[in-house]
Amino acid sequence: MKFKADEIASVIQKEIEDFRGQIETAEVGRVIEVGDGIARCTGLSTAMAGEMLEFPGGIRGLTFNLEENSVGVVILGDYLKITEGDEVKSTGALLSVPVGDAMLGRVVDPLGNPMDGKGVIMTSDTRPVEHEAVGVAGRQPVKVPLQTGIKAIDSMTPIGRGQRELIIGDRKTGKTAVALDTILNQKGTGVKCVYVACGQRLTSVAGVVEVLREHGALDYTIVVASSSADPAPMQYIAPYSGAAMAEYFMYNGEDTLVVYDDLSKQAIAYRQLSLLMRRPPGREAFPGDVFYCHSRLLERAVKLSDELGGGSMTALPIIETLEGEVSAYIPTNVISITDGQIYLDPDLFWKGIRPAINVGISVSRVGGNAQTKAMKKIAGSLRLDLAAFRELEAFAQLGTELDAATQQQLDRGYCMVELLKQAQYEPLHVADQVIVIYAGAKGYFDNVPVAEVQATEKKLLNFIQTEHADTRDKLFEAAELTSEVEEALKSALEAFNARQASA
Amino acid sequence: MSEQLKTRPDHVLEDPGAQAVASLYARSYLNAAKENGVGDADVELTSFVSEVFAQNSAFRSILVSDGISRDDKLGLIDRALAPNCSGFFANFLKVLVRHGRIGLVEQIREVVAEVQEELAGQKRVQIRSAKPLSDGSRSQITEQLKGKLGFDPILKESVEESLIGGLIIQVGDTVYDSSLRTRIQTLTGRLTERTLNEIQSGRDRFSHPEGD
Repeated sequence: MKFKADEIASVIQKEIEDFRGQIETAEVGRVIEVGDGIARCTGLSTAMAGEMLEFPGGIRGLTFNLEENSVGVVILGDYLKITEGDEVKSTGALLSVPVGDAMLGRVVDPLGNPMDGKGVIMTSDTRPVEHEAVGVAGRQPVKVPLQTGIKAIDSMTPIGRGQRELIIGDRKTGKTAVALDTILNQKGTGVKCVYVACGQRLTSVAGVVEVLREHGALDYTIVVASSSADPAPMQYIAPYSGAAMAEYFMYNGEDTLVVYDDLSKQAIAYRQLSLLMRRPPGREAFPGDVFYCHSRLLERAVKLSDELGGGSMTALPIIETLEGEVSAYIPTNVISITDGQIYLDPDLFWKGIRPAINVGISVSRVGGNAQTKAMKKIAGSLRLDLAAFRELEAFAQLGTELDAATQQQLDRGYCMVELLKQAQYEPLHVADQVIVIYAGAKGYFDNVPVAEVQATEKKLLNFIQTEHADTRDKLFEAAELTSEVEEALKSALEAFNARQASA
Repeated sequence: MSEQLKTRPDHVLEDPGAQAVASLYARSYLNAAKENGVGDADVELTSFVSEVFAQNSAFRSILVSDGISRDDKLGLIDRALAPNCSGFFANFLKVLVRHGRIGLVEQIREVVAEVQEELAGQKRVQIRSAKPLSDGSRSQITEQLKGKLGFDPILKESVEESLIGGLIIQVGDTVYDSSLRTRIQTLTGRLTERTLNEIQSGRDRFSHPEGD
């Protein structure tokens, strides 16, 4: 294509004609010490906490410590370009990031600058990075489900729109995979997603972006990336910028989902900043306000009242534990802040039970409110059944002979465990989940050998989609298991079993 | 002895903590002088710093050194200075020595001078310009500042050719920047932004509306 050079020239001409040089007034200070991503400055006597400052060369800074004779500043950019004696200008504005529809589909750094080589982001809206959470009156209870598309989660630890559900587990247990599947499953639901990579390797971030793009999820997703090579201040503010970008949609009445991957790295970045700023260290050398650092972030996840537009922000923070140690400082903090957690167990993962969700200690404090009626009805006893199965399984390992009823319960347990397994990037619609779990719980899979359960499940879904589409559609629309739908489902399942037996 | 190598710009050496302490001593010194009816306390301090301290580097090193005990320093003040200065000033020096703050005496002098200026309704104003100011423009600036800011400005001029034209005036921490350099930078930023927007919107006309 050809650019219209005349148009651009006229824009430039107009801009120059309209340009009225005004005297710029600013509060200034001088850098007396700089290094490791922070600077100490004199002057700036009227600087506010959290105010954005400008160093020479357009590098931005954030007022972090206001001391008696100096100001501690975190540098958001290349601190190697700043030298002692440089002039620092206050801007009178809080740190803000660009927001808006133009951000969707883009990969940006925590300041909102594009990193994907797709050109400038055309948006004039900005929002402050740090923003106060909505008060009690502005909220309403979490009632609408946010479907993750993962059977084990939607049935047993359901997540509602506006909820904060922690994903916690050791390294390499599939934490990011759960979050990614959830983002993929929001396709066509109108939920806008923000994926915040905090202290990740850039290869992982590139991998995530590629998965999102491949599955068509990038169109409704913003990726905020701060890699482990970025200075600590960038890693520290990344989750707040992600939240600000989601808030824009939320206050416009839309539903949003934010994934913070992961907050343990953010806490480490914050620890680094605080220690450099000489704030006193506390437990595990984290500063005293590391709890507040996370609580104020997660408190921004909310289901807004109808007066405020009814938008929502669902937060899925991720925490990485070391050797399953959930009682370390940061994990306990975040567990206590969130409305439940999904615990991913490395032992289950290596046993091949993936997603490796430990049903026993994963909870959702919002519970059944955030489930469709159909799911609530069939999944009500699932958690207890599985718990009973685990106990029985432990007992059966002793090698005792079991009576037929117990053996059957055990077999059904194995079958359910098999049914709750799910491949990555294959989120299931809630109606399909209901069909599968219903079939498993009611014993339609009892005659299938455990090794073939997953293949049979695929066949079943295929069979229902092609030959009993009306039943599935009813489940789709009503999201309720009325006796009529249940009867239809039963007959469809029997037809399927008959087909299997004859084959 | 050759001149000491300068490795840092001057203002970096101003430790903000020391500055605050010096300010405290200076104000206390002036208040005490007022209460005791000592009229020329500031003159005495200035002459001590510029004529005694600055010109007898050996004397200065003895007073500032950590290797010499306080009692010896106090004795030195009693023998060498007390007979030649007012009792009030000798006392002040002794207080500084006892508190280990004698090294700050130059900074204290600076602050005293500033406070005196403040009391006289004056304030220091730094002016950076691309070319040396002419007498005419200097008096014009002085008049204007006096009218706008309500005090007598004491101009501290410096020349920075990189400003291209115009002036940068700094009063305390506040900077009034009307230099050509800053204006050109602002204009450049705005032009780039507008042009990029034009180019991007031109490109968007041809892109697929539903993304890739």
